[in-house]
Amino acid sequence: MSERLRRLAEVLVGYSGGVKPGDLTVVEGTMNVEPLLEELYAAVLRAGGHPVVRCTAELEVVRLGEGSDEQVEWLTPAEWQDIELADVWIMVEAPSNTKALSGIDPERQSRMQRARIKWRERYLERALSGELRWVLTAYPTNAAAQDAEMSLAEYENFIYAAAFLDDGDPVTRWRAFADELQRVLEFLSSKEELRFVAAGTDLTFAVGGDRTWAAADGHENFPDGEVFTAPLDDSAQGEISFTFPAVFHGRQVDDVRLRFHEGEVVEATASSGEDFLQEMVGLDEGARRVGELAFGLNEAVRVFTRNILFDEKIGGTMHLALGAAYPECGGTNRSGLHWDMICDLRSGGEVYADGELVYRDGRFLTRS
Amino acid sequence: MSDPRLARLGELVVNYSLGLQPGKVLRIDAPPVAAPLAIEVYRAALAAGAHPYVDLQPERLPELLLAEANDEQLDYVSPIAKAEVELVDAIVTIWSESNTRALTHADPERHQRLIAASQQLAKRRWQRMSAGELGWLGVLFPTEAHAQDAQMSLAEYERFVFRACHVEEPGDPVAHWHAVREELGSRAETLAEARELHIVGPGTDLKLGVEGRRWQAADGRYNMPDGEVYTSPLETLTEGEISFAFPALFHGREVTGIRLRFEGGTVVEAEASRGREYLDAMLEMDEGARRLGEVAFGLNYEIDRFTQNTLFDEKIGGTMHVALGSSFEDLGGLNESVLHWDLVCDLREDGEVYADGELVWRAGHFLESAAPARV
Repeated sequence: MSERLRRLAEVLVGYSGGVKPGDLTVVEGTMNVEPLLEELYAAVLRAGGHPVVRCTAELEVVRLGEGSDEQVEWLTPAEWQDIELADVWIMVEAPSNTKALSGIDPERQSRMQRARIKWRERYLERALSGELRWVLTAYPTNAAAQDAEMSLAEYENFIYAAAFLDDGDPVTRWRAFADELQRVLEFLSSKEELRFVAAGTDLTFAVGGDRTWAAADGHENFPDGEVFTAPLDDSAQGEISFTFPAVFHGRQVDDVRLRFHEGEVVEATASSGEDFLQEMVGLDEGARRVGELAFGLNEAVRVFTRNILFDEKIGGTMHLALGAAYPECGGTNRSGLHWDMICDLRSGGEVYADGELVYRDGRFLTRS
Repeated sequence: MSDPRLARLGELVVNYSLGLQPGKVLRIDAPPVAAPLAIEVYRAALAAGAHPYVDLQPERLPELLLAEANDEQLDYVSPIAKAEVELVDAIVTIWSESNTRALTHADPERHQRLIAASQQLAKRRWQRMSAGELGWLGVLFPTEAHAQDAQMSLAEYERFVFRACHVEEPGDPVAHWHAVREELGSRAETLAEARELHIVGPGTDLKLGVEGRRWQAADGRYNMPDGEVYTSPLETLTEGEISFAFPALFHGREVTGIRLRFEGGTVVEAEASRGREYLDAMLEMDEGARRLGEVAFGLNYEIDRFTQNTLFDEKIGGTMHVALGSSFEDLGGLNESVLHWDLVCDLREDGEVYADGELVWRAGHFLESAAPARV
C-alpha cells in the first residue's frame, strides 16, 4: 500500500500537477487520507515546490445540520486564499461515510452550493488562464469500497489499475493515453450535432459553433479518461434514461429520466430520490441546462462504483452534467450545480454524428 | 460516542476563553489525532454564531520537511498562511501529539531554521493579539503519548487534564474560571509593587529585577488549563543560579538536570546532565536566547505532578518557572528572541521567595493566603 501511495503521489505531483521548483502547491484532503497527504507533501518537496497541507475533518454534516443560513453560505479565508494564491492545487476525496448527509434538508445543500458559485468560477478562471493547475483524486476508503460493493483490498486494486499505477512507468502510459484521447477529440471537433440513442434515450445536442472539446487526460482528474464539451445552451432536445444511479453530495437518485426541450429540462422523474432531484434541478436558472457532455473512455474502469470520479470515465459510457459549464470548452452556462449523470452505451447504445453512425456498443466505429 | 467532557471544554474555550462574538472568524488548528476536540470547538463556535473552520496539520509534516527540504524550502513561509493570519479574528490551537519524541533525532540546526521561519507568522500573530485584533487560546487534547510521558493510563490522564480544566464533572466551569480570574488578578496587583524577587531553593539562589513591569494573571483566557501569574523581568539584573528539578522539554527534545548561572542578566554558565548539546544550541540561537523573558508562579493546585508537558508543568501549584528568550512586550519586556523556552523549578518542598527582602512564599504557597486557587 505505501509503495503504491508513493507512486500515486509521484504521478499526481509530477504528471497531473506538473509541480515545478517554487510552485506553491496546496494539498487538500480530509484527515482519513493522512498517509497520502504525507506522501504528496514529500513528493512536492522533492519536486522543489512549496507544499501547504489543507486538511480538515468531515464537518459538512455538522455545518449543514447545526449552522445558520449565513454560516452555511460562508466560505473560509483559507478556501479563498488557496484558490487565489496557489500555483497547483491537489484535492483528495475520501469519504468515511458516503451517505452521512442523507438526513439533511436538501434546501440546505442547495443553499450551500449556490453560495459557492463565485468561488468555483474564480478557480476555473485562474485555471483557464493557466495560473492554477488543479487535480482531483480519490483515496480508497471502506465507505467508497462499500458503495462499489467491493472489499477495501479489491477497491484499492480497482483504483490503482484505473490509474495505471501497476504499470512499470505510469507517466509514459498516461502520455500515450493522452495521445489516444487527443485523436477522439479531433474526430469529434469536426461534428456539429450528436444524437444519442439507447433504451429509453433519444437525445440530440448541437456541439459546433464556439464550443470546443477537451481531453481529460489525468491533469484535472486522476485517474481520468474522457473527452468532454459544453453543448450549445438551448440545443438539448429529447429524452434520456440514466442507467446508473445519479449520486450527488451523499444522495442517490435512481432511474433518473430527463426530458429536454430547447436546452431545458421540462420533465424530471426518478424511481427514488425524486424530491432531491427536483430540488437540485430548481437550484437556479442554469441548473436546468446541460453544462457538460462527455464520452467515458478509460477501459480499465469497467464497473459502476457510485463514485463520479470513476463512473464518468467508464469506457463505453456517456454522461452529461446539469449545471455549470467548463469555460475551457467555451461553455457559458452558470449554476451552483454541476451534477454528472451517466448512461451506459455498451449494450445497444448508438451515437450519430451529423446523421452518421459513429459509435456503437460503447466503441467508436472510426478513429481517424 | 462523543465525550461530554470534550463538549464542555469546547464550550468553555469558545464562551469563556475567547468570548467569541457572532460573525467572527475562528480558525481551529489541530493535528488529526485531536479532531474530536476540534469538532466540539467547531460546534460551540457555530452555536455562538461565529464562522469557524478547522485546519488539521498531519503530525509527520515537520519530520518530512526536515528530511526532504532544501534551505529555501525550510525558510519558506507561504503567502496563504500570511494572508490567513490577517483574516481571522481568533485562533484556537489544540496541542496534541501521537509521539512526543518524533523529532528527537532531527538535525538541531535545520530544526532551528524551521522554527525561525515559523516565528515570522507567530510574530505577526502576537502583534495582532497585543493590539487586541486577534483572540487566541491554546488547549491540550489528551492522547496515549501524553499519558505515557505523564506515566499514566489514557483514562487517568484524561481525568487529570479535564480536572485541571474543571470540565471533568458536569457543573459550571465558566463560574470556576471567573473566580480564578479574580483571585489571580489581585495576586498580580500585589506583585506589581515589588522591585526585586529573590528565589531560594535546592541549587537555586537567584535575584531578578521586576520593578516597573506589569504582572499578568493567566486565568484561562490564553491557555486551558491555566493558573499562573507572570511577568518579564528586567533584562540586565538577573544574578545568581537556578536549578531545574524537572526535565526541560522543547519541540520534542528533553534536557535534564539543567543548571544556569546568570551575570548581569545573561547566562554565563549552563550545565545539563543530559541533552547539553541541545541546550547549547538553544542558547546560541540568537542574542536574546541567553536572557530571561519570563518569570512566573504556578498556581493551579489541581495540577499536582510533573507530566513532561509545559502547558501543565508551568502551572503546577507551588512551582516557579522562568523562560529563556522572548519577553512579553505588553508587560514591559524588551528581550527579543525566536526562543521562548519555559523551565520549571519545583519549590513545593523547601523553596522560599523574597520580595524586596520580605518572605512572601514558602513551600509552594504565598504566605498571606494559604488558600489555593480553587473553588
